[in-house]
Amino acid sequence: MSNRFGLPDLGVGVGLRTVHFPYILGERPRVDWFEVLSENFMETGGRPAWVLDQVAERYPVVLHGVSLSIGSTDPLDRDYLRKLKALAGRTKARWVSDHLCWTGVLGRNVHDLLPMPYTEEALRHTVARVRAVCDFLERPLVLENPSSYVEFAATSMPEWEFLARLAEDSDCGLLLDVNNVFVSAFNHGFDAGAYVDALPADRIVQYHLAGHTHKGTHIIDTHNDHAVPEVWELYARSCRRTGNVATLYEWDEDIPHFETVHAEAEKARAYRETALAAVATR
Amino acid sequence: MALHVPLDRLQRWMQAVVVHPGATPAAPGAPAARAEVPPGTVADLIRPSLTMSALERIGIYQGMYLLRMEDALAGDYEALRHLLGEDRFFDLVRGYVQEYPSRHFSLNRLGDHLPEYVLRAPGLARRRAVCHDLARLERAMGRVFDAPETPHLTAHAIAAVPPEAWEQARLVPIAAFALLAFRYPVVAYLDSVSDEPDHAHPPLRRQDTWAVVYRRDYTVWRQELTRPAHHLLSLLVAGRTVGDAVATVLRPRGRNRPTEDDLFRFFREWTAAGLFQSIESQRFGPGRTRTFD
Repeated sequence: MSNRFGLPDLGVGVGLRTVHFPYILGERPRVDWFEVLSENFMETGGRPAWVLDQVAERYPVVLHGVSLSIGSTDPLDRDYLRKLKALAGRTKARWVSDHLCWTGVLGRNVHDLLPMPYTEEALRHTVARVRAVCDFLERPLVLENPSSYVEFAATSMPEWEFLARLAEDSDCGLLLDVNNVFVSAFNHGFDAGAYVDALPADRIVQYHLAGHTHKGTHIIDTHNDHAVPEVWELYARSCRRTGNVATLYEWDEDIPHFETVHAEAEKARAYRETALAAVATR
Repeated sequence: MALHVPLDRLQRWMQAVVVHPGATPAAPGAPAARAEVPPGTVADLIRPSLTMSALERIGIYQGMYLLRMEDALAGDYEALRHLLGEDRFFDLVRGYVQEYPSRHFSLNRLGDHLPEYVLRAPGLARRRAVCHDLARLERAMGRVFDAPETPHLTAHAIAAVPPEAWEQARLVPIAAFALLAFRYPVVAYLDSVSDEPDHAHPPLRRQDTWAVVYRRDYTVWRQELTRPAHHLLSLLVAGRTVGDAVATVLRPRGRNRPTEDDLFRFFREWTAAGLFQSIESQRFGPGRTRTFD
C-alpha cells in the first residue's frame, strides 16, 4: 500500500549531522536519503548551507523541524514559516515534517517538544493550525508522534486517537516514530502494539527509529544508541500494515562514525523486507 | 479529579514550571506558575505514573531545560566555559536564560546577548572584563560562521583599478567579517583552549589586543592585529577612502606609526585573506561610483 499523498518510499536514510559532513562529502556514501534538521540551516550562509547544497544535489532530502510549535497557543511564527518554505524550495525537500507538540508560549522557545493534552479543545486548535501551515507551505505537513514524560489529567482520548483524528481532520501526513511509541508506552503504561495498529496506515509517510535511555522509573528519548529489539519488532509490525515507507535512523547524542549509524539504518531494510514477505505469503 | 484549565493557561503554567531555575517542588509556587494555576494542584493537572509522582514527571522537563541551555551555550562559548569552569559557567547560564530566554526558533541564537549579560552577571568579580572580551570574541566567531556568503575581491579586480583611482577608492568588507579590540589577550587564550583544553594556557593579564575574525572557504579564521593595522582596517570598513584612511594612520608619530612597507603588507595580507568583496571608486565623476569586484 502507498500513502494517500503519493509521497515516495525513499528507502532507508539517516539524519545529516555536522560531525559526518567531512565523511559524506569525501566518501559520498551510498545512502538512500538524508533527513535535515530544518532550523540548523534556515539562517546560515556558512559551511552548513554549503554542505547542505552539496548533499541536496546528490541525495533526496526531507526537512524535519523542532520549532514549528504546532500545538502552541502563541500565534504561528510567519517569519519561521517563510524561512522554512524557502529552505524546502532550495533543497527540493520531498516533504516537511515536525512534531505534535508545542515548544513555548509568550514568545519564548524552551527548545523542547512539550506534550499536548489530548482534548477536544486541543484537537480543534491543532487542526486549525495544521491547515494554516499547509496553506502557507503549499504542501502537506507531516507530523511526528512525540515521546513524552507527562500525561495530562484532562486528556480525554489516547494519543493514537488524537493523532488519527488530527490527520483526518487537517489532512496531514504522519511520521511514526516507533521508538517514541515504545518510550511513551513505558512511561504512560499503554500498549505500544495497539498504538501502531490504530493509526491510519495510508497517512504514514515516514518512520523514525532510534535508541533511548532506560532510567528504571522512566525512559528518556535520547537518540544515543542502537534501537532495542522491541522497537524493531514494533517497526516490523507497523510495516506489515503500511508496506514500504521511507525510514530513517536518528542518532543525536554520542554520535558514532557514519558507517555505524548507516549500518543501524540498514537493519531497517531487512526488517521491512521480512515483514512484507510475511504478509505476501499469508 | 482533573482540573479543567484552558489550553493557553495550561501551556503558560507548564512553561513557567519547566523554566523555573530552582528546585522542582518550588516551581508550581513560583509567581509565573501561580498566576495560571493555584499551587498544590499539580496532581489535578498531571497524572502520576506507576513509578513517578506528577511532580517528578514534570521535573524531567524542568531538569532537562537548563541542561539543554547549558549545552547550547557551551558549544558557542567553549573558551569562556573553560575559563570559568563548569560550575560557574552553569551558574552564568542559569542567570542568563532568566534574563534572556530564547525567543528564536534556533538555539544558535541563544547566546546573542551573553557578552552584555557578562557585564552585570553576579559572581564574576575581577574576571568580568576578561570574560566580556572572551565572550565578545566567541560571539563574533559564531556570527561570522553563519554570515551570508559574499564574493571575495579577485586579483583581476584589484589590477583593474587605475592607479589614480586608489586614493578615492573605498573597500567593502565581506559579510563574514568582524573587527574587535580587547583589553586582554583573548585570541591567544582561545587558540590555546581550542588546540588542547587540558594544558597550561597563556596568562590573561591586562594587555590591549586587536583581532579580525573572518571566513574564507567556509572556514572561520581569527587573526591578531597590531594597533596600526586595526586602526587602518577600522577606518576602511567604516567607509573612509583608502587615501583618507592611510593619511589618518600616518598622522601620529612614534612606534604606532606604520611604515610604508607595513601598509603594503597589510593590504597584501588582507586581500589575500579575502577580507574585501569589492572596491568602490568615485574617481569617475560626481555620482558615478564604479564598483570593481
